[in-house]
Amino acid sequence: MTFHPVGPASDFPDPSSTLVEVDDAPVVLIHAAGHFYALDDVCTHDGGPLSDGPLDPEEKTIACPRHGAKFDLKSGAALTMPATKATAAHEVKVEDGQVLVRLVG
Amino acid sequence: MTATLTSQGYDQAAFDALLASLDEPAWMTDRRRDAFEAFANAPWPSSKDEEWMRTDIRLFKLDQFAKPDDAAAAPCDPGLLTHGVDLGGHVQSVDGNLVSEDLSAELAAKGVLFGGMQRMLAEHGDKLRPSIERDIVCPKYDRFAMLNAAFWTCGSVLYVPKGVSVEQPLHMLSVLGAEKSADLSRTLVVLEEGAEATLLAETASASTDAAGLHCGAIELIVGPNAKLRYVNLQNWNNKVWHFAHQKAVVGKQGQLQWTIGALGAKLAKVNQHVALEGSDAEAQVNGAMFTQGRQHLTYNTHQHHEASYCRSDLLYKTALQDKSRTVWRGMIKVDKPAQRTDAYQRNDNLMLSEHCRADSIPGLEIEADDVRCTHGSTSGRVDESQIFYAMTRGYTRQEAVRMIVSGFFQQIFDRITIQSVRDALGEAIAARVQDLSSL
Repeated sequence: MTFHPVGPASDFPDPSSTLVEVDDAPVVLIHAAGHFYALDDVCTHDGGPLSDGPLDPEEKTIACPRHGAKFDLKSGAALTMPATKATAAHEVKVEDGQVLVRLVG
Repeated sequence: MTATLTSQGYDQAAFDALLASLDEPAWMTDRRRDAFEAFANAPWPSSKDEEWMRTDIRLFKLDQFAKPDDAAAAPCDPGLLTHGVDLGGHVQSVDGNLVSEDLSAELAAKGVLFGGMQRMLAEHGDKLRPSIERDIVCPKYDRFAMLNAAFWTCGSVLYVPKGVSVEQPLHMLSVLGAEKSADLSRTLVVLEEGAEATLLAETASASTDAAGLHCGAIELIVGPNAKLRYVNLQNWNNKVWHFAHQKAVVGKQGQLQWTIGALGAKLAKVNQHVALEGSDAEAQVNGAMFTQGRQHLTYNTHQHHEASYCRSDLLYKTALQDKSRTVWRGMIKVDKPAQRTDAYQRNDNLMLSEHCRADSIPGLEIEADDVRCTHGSTSGRVDESQIFYAMTRGYTRQEAVRMIVSGFFQQIFDRITIQSVRDALGEAIAARVQDLSSL
Protein backbone atom coordinates (compact mmCIF):
# COMPACT_ATOMS: atom_id res chain seq x y z
CA MET A 1 0.00 0.00 0.00
CA THR A 2 1.30 3.46 -0.88
CA PHE A 3 0.54 6.89 0.50
CA HIS A 4 -2.13 8.75 -1.49
CA PRO A 5 -2.35 12.56 -1.52
CA VAL A 6 -5.75 13.81 -0.40
CA GLY A 7 -5.14 17.58 -0.56
CA PRO A 8 -3.28 20.52 0.95
CA ALA A 9 -3.23 20.57 4.74
CA SER A 10 -4.60 24.12 4.58
CA ASP A 11 -7.84 22.72 3.11
CA PHE A 12 -8.59 20.95 6.38
CA PRO A 13 -9.20 23.42 9.24
CA ASP A 14 -8.60 22.44 12.85
CA PRO A 15 -10.96 21.04 14.04
CA SER A 16 -12.69 19.37 11.10
CA SER A 17 -13.69 15.98 9.73
CA THR A 18 -13.84 15.53 5.96
CA LEU A 19 -14.83 12.67 3.70
CA VAL A 20 -12.01 11.87 1.26
CA GLU A 21 -11.54 9.06 -1.24
CA VAL A 22 -8.40 6.99 -0.86
CA ASP A 23 -7.84 4.20 -3.35
CA ASP A 24 -11.62 3.87 -3.92
CA ALA A 25 -12.33 3.70 -0.17
CA PRO A 26 -14.31 6.31 1.78
CA VAL A 27 -12.07 7.68 4.53
CA VAL A 28 -12.79 10.36 7.08
CA LEU A 29 -9.80 12.68 7.47
CA ILE A 30 -9.81 14.37 10.84
CA HIS A 31 -7.80 17.41 11.87
CA ALA A 32 -8.00 17.84 15.62
CA ALA A 33 -5.75 19.53 18.20
CA GLY A 34 -2.96 19.89 15.67
CA HIS A 35 -2.96 16.28 14.53
CA PHE A 36 -4.34 14.49 11.48
CA TYR A 37 -6.12 11.15 11.75
CA ALA A 38 -7.74 8.92 9.12
CA LEU A 39 -10.41 6.30 9.76
CA ASP A 40 -12.68 4.22 7.57
CA ASP A 41 -15.74 6.40 7.17
CA VAL A 42 -17.92 3.55 8.35
CA CYS A 43 -19.46 2.96 11.75
CA THR A 44 -19.00 -0.72 12.52
CA HIS A 45 -22.43 -0.88 14.12
CA ASP A 46 -24.75 0.23 11.35
CA GLY A 47 -22.48 1.43 8.55
CA GLY A 48 -23.21 5.08 9.26
CA PRO A 49 -20.94 7.85 7.92
CA LEU A 50 -18.60 8.97 10.72
CA SER A 51 -17.65 12.11 8.81
CA ASP A 52 -21.17 13.43 9.45
CA GLY A 53 -20.89 12.85 13.19
CA PRO A 54 -19.72 15.08 16.05
CA LEU A 55 -15.97 15.38 16.63
CA ASP A 56 -14.51 15.89 20.10
CA PRO A 57 -10.91 17.14 19.68
CA GLU A 58 -10.20 17.05 23.42
CA GLU A 59 -11.51 13.54 23.95
CA LYS A 60 -9.99 12.55 20.59
CA THR A 61 -13.19 10.79 19.55
CA ILE A 62 -15.68 10.93 16.73
CA ALA A 63 -19.25 9.69 17.09
CA CYS A 64 -21.60 8.08 14.60
CA PRO A 65 -24.50 10.43 13.82
CA ARG A 66 -27.02 7.58 13.83
CA HIS A 67 -26.72 5.90 17.21
CA GLY A 68 -23.87 7.74 18.93
CA ALA A 69 -21.18 5.05 18.98
CA LYS A 70 -17.81 6.70 19.68
CA PHE A 71 -14.51 5.77 18.08
CA ASP A 72 -10.94 6.60 19.11
CA LEU A 73 -9.32 8.87 16.53
CA LYS A 74 -5.91 7.24 16.72
CA SER A 75 -6.70 3.54 16.91
CA GLY A 76 -10.24 3.42 15.55
CA ALA A 77 -11.27 1.44 18.64
CA ALA A 78 -14.96 1.35 19.48
CA LEU A 79 -15.30 3.14 22.81
CA THR A 80 -19.04 3.04 23.40
CA MET A 81 -22.05 0.95 22.49
CA PRO A 82 -23.69 0.11 20.19
CA ALA A 83 -20.44 -0.41 18.25
CA THR A 84 -18.27 -3.24 19.50
CA LYS A 85 -15.66 -3.54 16.75
CA ALA A 86 -12.97 -1.05 15.78
CA THR A 87 -13.15 0.79 12.50
CA ALA A 88 -9.95 0.73 10.49
CA ALA A 89 -7.40 3.43 11.35
CA HIS A 90 -5.05 4.48 8.56
CA GLU A 91 -1.62 6.10 8.45
CA VAL A 92 -1.45 9.86 7.84
CA LYS A 93 1.48 12.17 7.26
CA VAL A 94 1.98 15.71 6.01
CA GLU A 95 4.75 16.35 3.49
CA ASP A 96 5.39 19.65 1.73
CA GLY A 97 2.02 20.88 2.91
CA GLN A 98 0.18 17.90 1.41
CA VAL A 99 -1.77 15.42 3.49
CA LEU A 100 -1.00 11.80 2.55
CA VAL A 101 -2.95 8.74 3.65
CA ARG A 102 -1.97 5.10 3.44
CA LEU A 103 -4.68 2.48 3.90
CA VAL A 104 -4.02 -0.12 6.54
CA GLY A 105 -5.64 -3.52 6.24
CA MET B 1 -9.97 -0.23 -25.83
CA THR B 2 -9.80 3.52 -26.40
CA ALA B 3 -12.57 5.97 -27.00
CA THR B 4 -13.21 9.65 -26.63
CA LEU B 5 -15.56 10.96 -23.99
CA THR B 6 -17.22 13.97 -25.53
CA SER B 7 -20.41 14.29 -23.57
CA GLN B 8 -20.43 17.36 -21.35
CA GLY B 9 -22.35 16.25 -18.34
CA TYR B 10 -26.06 15.88 -17.86
CA ASP B 11 -27.34 19.44 -17.97
CA GLN B 12 -29.85 21.14 -20.28
CA ALA B 13 -27.28 21.62 -23.05
CA ALA B 14 -26.26 17.97 -22.94
CA PHE B 15 -29.91 16.94 -22.96
CA ASP B 16 -30.70 19.16 -25.94
CA ALA B 17 -27.68 17.76 -27.79
CA LEU B 18 -28.89 14.23 -27.09
CA LEU B 19 -32.38 14.98 -28.41
CA ALA B 20 -30.90 16.53 -31.54
CA SER B 21 -28.90 13.37 -32.19
CA LEU B 22 -31.89 11.04 -31.89
CA ASP B 23 -34.52 10.13 -34.42
CA GLU B 24 -37.35 8.75 -32.35
CA PRO B 25 -41.13 9.19 -32.05
CA ALA B 26 -42.36 12.48 -30.60
CA TRP B 27 -44.12 10.72 -27.74
CA MET B 28 -40.81 9.25 -26.60
CA THR B 29 -39.16 12.65 -26.77
CA ASP B 30 -41.99 14.04 -24.62
CA ARG B 31 -41.34 11.30 -22.08
CA ARG B 32 -37.65 12.20 -22.03
CA ARG B 33 -38.44 15.89 -21.50
CA ASP B 34 -40.74 15.05 -18.62
CA ALA B 35 -38.08 12.86 -17.01
CA PHE B 36 -35.34 15.43 -17.55
CA GLU B 37 -37.36 18.15 -15.88
CA ALA B 38 -37.78 15.91 -12.86
CA PHE B 39 -34.10 14.92 -12.94
CA ALA B 40 -32.93 18.53 -13.05
CA ASN B 41 -34.91 19.38 -9.93
CA ALA B 42 -34.43 16.23 -7.88
CA PRO B 43 -31.76 15.65 -5.23
CA TRP B 44 -29.62 12.55 -5.14
CA PRO B 45 -30.72 9.96 -2.60
CA SER B 46 -28.91 10.33 0.71
CA SER B 47 -28.14 8.19 3.71
CA LYS B 48 -31.09 9.86 5.43
CA ASP B 49 -33.44 7.94 3.11
CA GLU B 50 -34.39 4.57 4.58
CA GLU B 51 -33.76 2.81 1.27
CA TRP B 52 -30.27 4.30 0.97
CA MET B 53 -29.06 4.42 4.55
CA ARG B 54 -26.84 1.36 4.03
CA THR B 55 -25.64 2.34 0.57
CA ASP B 56 -23.09 5.14 0.50
CA ILE B 57 -22.95 7.01 -2.82
CA ARG B 58 -21.20 10.14 -1.58
CA LEU B 59 -18.14 9.32 -3.69
CA PHE B 60 -20.23 8.90 -6.85
CA LYS B 61 -19.70 11.82 -9.26
CA LEU B 62 -22.03 11.56 -12.24
CA ASP B 63 -20.17 14.13 -14.33
CA GLN B 64 -17.09 11.92 -14.41
CA PHE B 65 -18.92 9.51 -16.71
CA ALA B 66 -20.16 9.88 -20.27
CA LYS B 67 -21.04 7.80 -23.29
CA PRO B 68 -18.15 7.78 -25.76
CA ASP B 69 -19.10 9.07 -29.19
CA ASP B 70 -16.53 6.94 -30.98
CA ALA B 71 -17.91 3.91 -32.73
CA ALA B 72 -17.15 0.94 -30.51
CA ALA B 73 -15.92 -2.41 -31.71
CA ALA B 74 -17.90 -5.56 -31.07
CA PRO B 75 -16.66 -7.45 -28.02
CA CYS B 76 -14.25 -10.31 -28.64
CA ASP B 77 -15.99 -12.65 -26.21
CA PRO B 78 -19.64 -13.34 -27.06
CA GLY B 79 -20.42 -13.78 -23.37
CA LEU B 80 -20.30 -16.44 -20.68
CA LEU B 81 -23.95 -17.37 -21.11
CA THR B 82 -23.56 -18.22 -24.80
CA HIS B 83 -21.15 -21.09 -24.35
CA GLY B 84 -22.61 -24.23 -25.84
CA VAL B 85 -25.94 -22.56 -26.59
CA ASP B 86 -27.69 -22.48 -29.94
CA LEU B 87 -29.02 -18.92 -29.88
CA GLY B 88 -32.05 -17.61 -31.71
CA GLY B 89 -30.67 -14.09 -31.78
CA HIS B 90 -28.47 -11.61 -30.00
CA VAL B 91 -28.00 -7.92 -29.25
CA GLN B 92 -24.65 -6.47 -28.22
CA SER B 93 -23.74 -3.00 -27.08
CA VAL B 94 -20.43 -1.45 -26.07
CA ASP B 95 -20.27 1.73 -24.00
CA GLY B 96 -23.92 2.45 -24.70
CA ASN B 97 -23.60 2.04 -28.47
CA LEU B 98 -25.33 -0.80 -30.29
CA VAL B 99 -22.69 -2.81 -32.15
CA SER B 100 -24.46 -5.95 -33.29
CA GLU B 101 -27.94 -7.49 -33.48
CA ASP B 102 -29.62 -10.39 -35.21
CA LEU B 103 -32.64 -12.66 -35.04
CA SER B 104 -33.20 -15.94 -36.82
CA ALA B 105 -35.38 -15.70 -39.91
CA GLU B 106 -37.66 -18.39 -38.51
CA LEU B 107 -38.46 -16.35 -35.40
CA ALA B 108 -38.84 -13.15 -37.39
CA ALA B 109 -41.36 -14.91 -39.61
CA LYS B 110 -43.42 -15.77 -36.52
CA GLY B 111 -43.66 -12.08 -35.68
CA VAL B 112 -41.02 -12.07 -32.95
CA LEU B 113 -39.27 -8.73 -32.56
CA PHE B 114 -35.79 -8.63 -31.04
CA GLY B 115 -33.16 -5.96 -31.41
CA GLY B 116 -31.80 -2.64 -30.30
CA MET B 117 -34.28 -0.33 -28.60
CA GLN B 118 -33.71 2.62 -30.95
CA ARG B 119 -34.38 0.63 -34.12
CA MET B 120 -37.38 -1.08 -32.58
CA LEU B 121 -38.86 2.26 -31.62
CA ALA B 122 -38.32 3.61 -35.10
CA GLU B 123 -39.84 0.59 -36.84
CA HIS B 124 -42.42 -0.67 -34.34
CA GLY B 125 -43.06 2.34 -32.11
CA ASP B 126 -46.85 2.07 -32.34
CA LYS B 127 -46.81 -1.57 -31.26
CA LEU B 128 -44.47 -0.95 -28.35
CA ARG B 129 -45.93 2.32 -27.15
CA PRO B 130 -48.70 0.86 -24.95
CA SER B 131 -46.19 -1.32 -23.11
CA ILE B 132 -43.72 1.53 -22.64
CA GLU B 133 -46.45 3.86 -21.43
CA ARG B 134 -47.40 1.41 -18.70
CA ASP B 135 -44.34 2.72 -16.85
CA ILE B 136 -43.60 -0.68 -15.37
CA VAL B 137 -40.49 0.95 -13.91
CA CYS B 138 -41.61 4.29 -12.56
CA PRO B 139 -39.51 6.87 -14.44
CA LYS B 140 -39.59 9.19 -11.45
CA TYR B 141 -38.94 6.65 -8.69
CA ASP B 142 -35.64 8.30 -7.78
CA ARG B 143 -32.98 10.40 -9.47
CA PHE B 144 -31.32 7.37 -11.05
CA ALA B 145 -34.63 6.33 -12.64
CA MET B 146 -35.06 9.90 -13.90
CA LEU B 147 -31.51 9.93 -15.27
CA ASN B 148 -32.16 6.73 -17.18
CA ALA B 149 -35.57 7.83 -18.48
CA ALA B 150 -34.14 11.11 -19.79
CA PHE B 151 -30.73 10.07 -21.10
CA TRP B 152 -31.00 6.39 -22.10
CA THR B 153 -29.20 5.67 -25.35
CA CYS B 154 -29.30 1.94 -25.90
CA GLY B 155 -31.04 -1.19 -24.83
CA SER B 156 -33.05 -4.05 -26.21
CA VAL B 157 -36.58 -5.05 -26.99
CA LEU B 158 -38.01 -8.55 -27.11
CA TYR B 159 -41.61 -8.88 -28.25
CA VAL B 160 -43.20 -12.31 -28.63
CA PRO B 161 -46.69 -12.41 -30.16
CA LYS B 162 -49.63 -14.33 -28.76
CA GLY B 163 -49.14 -18.08 -28.66
CA VAL B 164 -45.62 -18.07 -30.10
CA SER B 165 -43.04 -20.21 -28.37
CA VAL B 166 -39.38 -19.25 -28.83
CA GLU B 167 -37.41 -22.43 -28.28
CA GLN B 168 -33.89 -21.08 -28.71
CA PRO B 169 -32.60 -18.70 -26.04
CA LEU B 170 -31.95 -15.11 -27.02
CA HIS B 171 -28.92 -13.27 -25.72
CA MET B 172 -28.06 -9.68 -24.78
CA LEU B 173 -24.57 -8.49 -23.89
CA SER B 174 -23.65 -5.04 -22.60
CA VAL B 175 -19.97 -4.19 -22.33
CA LEU B 176 -18.21 -1.24 -20.75
CA GLY B 177 -14.84 -0.70 -22.39
CA ALA B 178 -13.59 2.87 -22.31
CA GLU B 179 -12.36 4.48 -19.12
CA LYS B 180 -15.18 6.33 -17.36
CA SER B 181 -17.79 5.47 -19.94
CA ALA B 182 -21.48 5.37 -19.13
CA ASP B 183 -24.07 2.83 -20.21
CA LEU B 184 -27.63 4.05 -19.75
CA SER B 185 -29.75 1.26 -21.15
CA ARG B 186 -33.32 0.05 -21.13
CA THR B 187 -34.68 -3.44 -21.65
CA LEU B 188 -38.28 -4.12 -22.56
CA VAL B 189 -39.63 -7.66 -22.79
CA VAL B 190 -43.23 -8.28 -23.79
CA LEU B 191 -44.67 -11.79 -23.94
CA GLU B 192 -48.22 -11.78 -25.12
CA GLU B 193 -50.80 -14.34 -24.01
CA GLY B 194 -49.51 -17.91 -24.20
CA ALA B 195 -46.07 -16.89 -25.46
CA GLU B 196 -42.86 -18.43 -24.20
CA ALA B 197 -39.22 -17.32 -24.34
CA THR B 198 -35.82 -17.53 -22.65
CA LEU B 199 -33.70 -14.41 -22.52
CA LEU B 200 -30.11 -14.41 -21.31
CA ALA B 201 -28.74 -10.98 -20.41
CA GLU B 202 -25.25 -10.29 -19.22
CA THR B 203 -22.92 -7.41 -18.59
CA ALA B 204 -19.15 -7.35 -18.68
CA SER B 205 -16.16 -5.04 -18.65
CA ALA B 206 -13.48 -5.15 -21.31
CA SER B 207 -10.77 -4.52 -18.74
CA THR B 208 -10.38 -5.01 -15.02
CA ASP B 209 -9.41 -1.46 -14.17
CA ALA B 210 -11.58 0.87 -16.27
CA ALA B 211 -14.04 2.79 -14.14
CA GLY B 212 -17.57 3.00 -15.49
CA LEU B 213 -21.21 3.71 -14.83
CA HIS B 214 -24.26 1.66 -15.62
CA CYS B 215 -27.67 3.10 -14.90
CA GLY B 216 -30.35 0.85 -16.31
CA ALA B 217 -34.00 -0.06 -16.36
CA ILE B 218 -35.52 -3.46 -17.12
CA GLU B 219 -39.23 -3.99 -17.74
CA LEU B 220 -40.65 -7.48 -18.18
CA ILE B 221 -44.30 -7.98 -19.14
CA VAL B 222 -45.42 -11.61 -18.95
CA GLY B 223 -48.91 -11.96 -20.35
CA PRO B 224 -51.63 -14.43 -19.34
CA ASN B 225 -50.45 -18.04 -19.64
CA ALA B 226 -47.09 -16.81 -20.91
CA LYS B 227 -43.80 -18.20 -19.66
CA LEU B 228 -40.56 -16.25 -19.42
CA ARG B 229 -37.18 -17.40 -18.23
CA TYR B 230 -34.97 -14.39 -17.72
CA VAL B 231 -31.36 -14.55 -16.64
CA ASN B 232 -29.34 -11.51 -15.70
CA LEU B 233 -25.62 -11.98 -15.04
CA GLN B 234 -24.02 -8.81 -13.70
CA ASN B 235 -20.32 -9.23 -14.22
CA TRP B 236 -18.91 -5.69 -14.43
CA ASN B 237 -15.42 -5.16 -13.10
CA ASN B 238 -14.95 -3.86 -9.57
CA LYS B 239 -14.63 -0.22 -10.69
CA VAL B 240 -18.16 0.15 -12.05
CA TRP B 241 -21.04 1.95 -10.36
CA HIS B 242 -24.19 -0.03 -11.09
CA PHE B 243 -27.67 1.35 -10.51
CA ALA B 244 -30.73 -0.46 -11.83
CA HIS B 245 -34.47 -0.56 -11.56
CA GLN B 246 -35.89 -3.89 -12.67
CA LYS B 247 -39.52 -4.87 -12.60
CA ALA B 248 -41.66 -7.70 -13.95
CA VAL B 249 -45.44 -7.95 -14.11
CA VAL B 250 -46.99 -11.38 -14.53
CA GLY B 251 -50.51 -11.93 -15.85
CA LYS B 252 -53.07 -14.61 -15.07
CA GLN B 253 -51.48 -18.07 -14.93
CA GLY B 254 -48.26 -16.60 -16.27
CA GLN B 255 -44.91 -17.97 -15.13
CA LEU B 256 -41.65 -16.16 -14.57
CA GLN B 257 -38.31 -17.64 -13.62
CA TRP B 258 -35.87 -14.82 -12.95
CA THR B 259 -32.27 -15.63 -12.12
CA ILE B 260 -29.72 -13.05 -11.10
CA GLY B 261 -26.00 -13.51 -10.79
CA ALA B 262 -24.34 -10.53 -9.15
CA LEU B 263 -20.58 -10.76 -9.14
CA GLY B 264 -19.15 -7.43 -10.23
CA ALA B 265 -19.43 -3.70 -9.56
CA LYS B 266 -17.71 -1.39 -7.14
CA LEU B 267 -21.11 -0.45 -5.79
CA ALA B 268 -24.45 -1.80 -6.96
CA LYS B 269 -27.90 -0.67 -5.97
CA VAL B 270 -30.60 -2.72 -7.63
CA ASN B 271 -34.33 -2.70 -7.10
CA GLN B 272 -35.84 -5.95 -8.31
CA HIS B 273 -39.61 -5.99 -8.25
CA VAL B 274 -42.04 -8.71 -9.28
CA ALA B 275 -45.76 -7.95 -9.43
CA LEU B 276 -48.18 -10.86 -9.76
CA GLU B 277 -51.16 -9.03 -11.18
CA GLY B 278 -53.20 -11.93 -12.55
CA SER B 279 -54.59 -14.79 -10.50
CA ASP B 280 -52.72 -18.11 -10.33
CA ALA B 281 -49.51 -16.47 -11.56
CA GLU B 282 -46.14 -17.73 -10.43
CA ALA B 283 -42.66 -16.24 -9.99
CA GLN B 284 -39.44 -17.91 -8.97
CA VAL B 285 -36.56 -15.56 -8.23
CA ASN B 286 -33.02 -16.86 -7.81
CA GLY B 287 -30.05 -14.76 -6.82
CA ALA B 288 -26.38 -15.68 -6.44
CA MET B 289 -23.93 -13.06 -5.21
CA PHE B 290 -20.20 -13.35 -4.59
CA THR B 291 -18.33 -10.28 -3.45
CA GLN B 292 -14.70 -9.51 -2.72
CA GLY B 293 -12.34 -6.59 -2.08
CA ARG B 294 -14.36 -3.54 -1.09
CA GLN B 295 -17.38 -4.31 -3.25
CA HIS B 296 -20.75 -3.16 -1.98
CA LEU B 297 -23.88 -4.73 -3.47
CA THR B 298 -27.37 -3.74 -2.40
CA TYR B 299 -30.40 -5.63 -3.70
CA ASN B 300 -33.90 -4.56 -2.77
CA THR B 301 -36.40 -7.22 -3.77
CA HIS B 302 -40.14 -6.85 -3.79
CA GLN B 303 -42.68 -9.61 -4.33
CA HIS B 304 -46.02 -7.94 -4.84
CA HIS B 305 -49.09 -10.15 -4.79
CA GLU B 306 -51.96 -8.25 -6.33
CA ALA B 307 -54.26 -11.17 -7.23
CA SER B 308 -55.40 -14.41 -5.64
CA TYR B 309 -53.85 -17.88 -5.81
CA CYS B 310 -50.42 -16.61 -6.85
CA ARG B 311 -47.10 -18.12 -5.82
CA SER B 312 -43.72 -16.47 -5.42
CA ASP B 313 -40.50 -18.07 -4.24
CA LEU B 314 -37.32 -16.06 -3.79
CA LEU B 315 -33.90 -17.41 -2.82
CA TYR B 316 -30.78 -15.23 -2.65
CA LYS B 317 -27.47 -16.78 -1.66
CA THR B 318 -24.42 -14.63 -0.99
CA ALA B 319 -20.78 -15.36 -0.27
CA LEU B 320 -18.61 -12.51 0.93
CA GLN B 321 -14.85 -12.13 1.09
CA ASP B 322 -12.36 -9.49 2.25
CA LYS B 323 -14.00 -6.20 3.26
CA SER B 324 -16.96 -6.52 0.93
CA ARG B 325 -20.48 -5.77 1.97
CA THR B 326 -23.95 -6.79 0.82
CA VAL B 327 -27.36 -5.52 1.72
CA TRP B 328 -30.49 -7.47 0.92
CA ARG B 329 -33.86 -5.97 1.75
CA GLY B 330 -36.76 -8.18 0.78
CA MET B 331 -40.43 -7.42 0.97
CA ILE B 332 -43.48 -9.59 0.35
CA LYS B 333 -46.47 -7.35 -0.14
CA VAL B 334 -49.90 -8.97 -0.30
CA ASP B 335 -52.85 -6.85 -1.33
CA LYS B 336 -56.28 -7.39 0.17
CA PRO B 337 -57.73 -9.25 -2.86
CA ALA B 338 -54.75 -11.61 -3.05
CA GLN B 339 -56.24 -14.43 -0.99
CA ARG B 340 -54.60 -17.88 -1.01
CA THR B 341 -51.22 -16.35 -1.71
CA ASP B 342 -48.23 -18.64 -1.22
CA ALA B 343 -45.04 -16.59 -0.89
CA TYR B 344 -41.56 -17.30 0.39
CA GLN B 345 -38.32 -15.37 0.58
CA ARG B 346 -34.95 -16.43 1.88
CA ASN B 347 -31.45 -15.01 2.00
CA ASP B 348 -28.40 -17.01 3.07
CA ASN B 349 -25.04 -15.33 3.65
CA LEU B 350 -21.72 -17.12 3.92
CA MET B 351 -19.11 -14.92 5.57
CA LEU B 352 -15.61 -15.82 4.38
CA SER B 353 -13.62 -13.15 6.17
CA GLU B 354 -13.57 -11.36 9.48
CA HIS B 355 -14.20 -7.94 7.94
CA CYS B 356 -17.01 -8.59 5.46
CA ARG B 357 -20.55 -7.59 6.35
CA ALA B 358 -23.99 -8.72 5.21
CA ASP B 359 -27.19 -6.91 6.13
CA SER B 360 -30.24 -9.07 5.59
CA ILE B 361 -33.63 -7.46 6.09
CA PRO B 362 -36.67 -9.54 5.14
CA GLY B 363 -40.12 -8.01 5.45
CA LEU B 364 -43.79 -8.89 5.15
CA GLU B 365 -46.73 -6.57 4.55
CA ILE B 366 -49.95 -8.53 4.36
CA GLU B 367 -53.45 -7.19 3.96
CA ALA B 368 -55.22 -10.43 3.01
CA ASP B 369 -56.26 -12.91 5.73
CA ASP B 370 -55.92 -16.30 4.04
CA VAL B 371 -52.32 -16.59 2.93
CA ARG B 372 -49.10 -18.45 3.58
CA CYS B 373 -46.16 -16.06 3.65
CA THR B 374 -42.85 -17.03 5.17
CA HIS B 375 -39.35 -15.71 5.13
CA GLY B 376 -35.94 -16.60 6.46
CA SER B 377 -32.38 -15.41 6.61
CA THR B 378 -29.14 -17.04 7.74
CA SER B 379 -25.66 -15.60 8.12
CA GLY B 380 -22.60 -17.50 9.26
CA ARG B 381 -19.05 -18.68 8.73
CA VAL B 382 -17.97 -21.92 7.10
CA ASP B 383 -18.80 -24.71 9.54
CA GLU B 384 -15.60 -25.93 11.21
CA SER B 385 -17.03 -29.42 11.72
CA GLN B 386 -17.59 -29.72 7.96
CA ILE B 387 -14.01 -28.64 7.33
CA PHE B 388 -12.78 -31.14 9.90
CA TYR B 389 -14.80 -33.94 8.30
CA ALA B 390 -13.43 -33.14 4.84
CA MET B 391 -9.89 -33.02 6.21
CA THR B 392 -10.31 -36.44 7.76
CA ARG B 393 -11.07 -37.60 4.21
CA GLY B 394 -7.75 -36.29 2.91
CA TYR B 395 -8.61 -32.78 1.74
CA THR B 396 -6.49 -29.81 2.74
CA ARG B 397 -8.21 -27.06 4.66
CA GLN B 398 -8.22 -24.85 1.58
CA GLU B 399 -9.71 -27.56 -0.60
CA ALA B 400 -12.35 -28.20 2.01
CA VAL B 401 -13.33 -24.55 2.18
CA ARG B 402 -13.55 -24.27 -1.58
CA MET B 403 -15.70 -27.38 -1.76
CA ILE B 404 -18.05 -26.10 0.95
CA VAL B 405 -18.41 -22.70 -0.75
CA SER B 406 -19.21 -24.37 -4.07
CA GLY B 407 -21.76 -26.53 -2.31
CA PHE B 408 -23.32 -23.47 -0.72
CA PHE B 409 -24.43 -22.28 -4.15
CA GLN B 410 -25.63 -25.70 -5.29
CA GLN B 411 -29.16 -24.98 -4.09
CA ILE B 412 -29.32 -22.08 -6.54
CA PHE B 413 -27.86 -24.16 -9.38
CA ASP B 414 -30.43 -26.88 -8.72
CA ARG B 415 -33.23 -24.39 -9.32
CA ILE B 416 -31.83 -23.14 -12.62
CA THR B 417 -33.26 -25.16 -15.48
CA ILE B 418 -30.97 -23.82 -18.22
CA GLN B 419 -27.74 -25.80 -18.52
CA SER B 420 -25.65 -22.97 -19.99
CA VAL B 421 -26.68 -20.67 -17.15
CA ARG B 422 -25.77 -23.27 -14.57
CA ASP B 423 -22.40 -23.72 -16.27
CA ALA B 424 -21.72 -20.00 -16.64
CA LEU B 425 -22.63 -19.13 -13.08
CA GLY B 426 -20.75 -22.14 -11.81
CA GLU B 427 -17.69 -21.14 -13.83
CA ALA B 428 -17.78 -17.54 -12.64
CA ILE B 429 -18.21 -18.53 -9.01
CA ALA B 430 -15.59 -21.26 -9.25
CA ALA B 431 -13.08 -18.66 -10.46
CA ARG B 432 -13.72 -16.68 -7.30
CA VAL B 433 -13.60 -19.74 -5.12
CA GLN B 434 -10.13 -20.44 -6.54
CA ASP B 435 -9.05 -17.06 -5.22
CA LEU B 436 -9.97 -18.02 -1.69
CA SER B 437 -6.99 -18.07 0.58
CA SER B 438 -7.03 -20.52 3.43
CA LEU B 439 -9.50 -19.51 6.07
